[in-house]
Amino acid sequence: MRRDVFQAIADPTRREIIQLVARQSLNLNTVADNFNISRLAISKHIKILSECGLISIRQQGRERYCEAQLSTLNEVAAWVDQYKTFWNKKLDALALHLNKKTSVNKKRSPKKN
Amino acid sequence: MDTQPIVIERTFNAPVAAVWKAITDKDEMKSWYFDLAEFKAEKGFMFQFSGGPDDGPQYLHLCEVTEVIPNKKLTYSWRYDGYPGNSFVTFELFEKEENTLLRLTHTGLESFPADNKDFAKNNFVKGWTDIIHTSLRKHLER
Repeated sequence: MRRDVFQAIADPTRREIIQLVARQSLNLNTVADNFNISRLAISKHIKILSECGLISIRQQGRERYCEAQLSTLNEVAAWVDQYKTFWNKKLDALALHLNKKTSVNKKRSPKKN
Repeated sequence: MDTQPIVIERTFNAPVAAVWKAITDKDEMKSWYFDLAEFKAEKGFMFQFSGGPDDGPQYLHLCEVTEVIPNKKLTYSWRYDGYPGNSFVTFELFEKEENTLLRLTHTGLESFPADNKDFAKNNFVKGWTDIIHTSLRKHLER
């Protein structure tokens, strides 16, 4: 089963859980209280988030607290940014290429269309 | 959280037909995009090219044309040999008086393995686009 940050945030409930615990560490019950689905379902989501490295679970006495590991999220942003940079550079090069072509065409022959 | 597709729009000072040719003609693609052995704007046409950081591993990119509407739209898949995941790159062209608006959409990036350090952290794309950027700047400052 795939376990990475992209899988973690693919689910809307998990995204909400991340947003909740990003503000402050919460115990499992408090997290579950924010949702209309079963505690078991919430536990499963938290387990996935923890396996994906987005949440760490800390035992404190009898309570288990969820803490957000937000640095993992930067992977997503960095990943997408790389492609943005890539395509912007490519389109810069395309603009340059088209400018060259146009000026060559103008010199050699009038445009047909 | 940004799992939205990448959408970039650019207006080029060139007619639609010229932009279409630049994105589909292998000889023109060579001067701004990648040096491909062959390219055909036909559904089902497959092509590949290598890319990666100068001092790092090269990734074989595998692509297959999935949609072609001449002078309007070109879509191909974009994945990496030996890795799971698949993405799609779409070029759409719109006539704007004498100019052409190009809309580039890249979807499915989240399907690539984030646990591969080269994909997630080594900025492999950034690495080799910097090369393009540098050579481009040199060209412009000439």
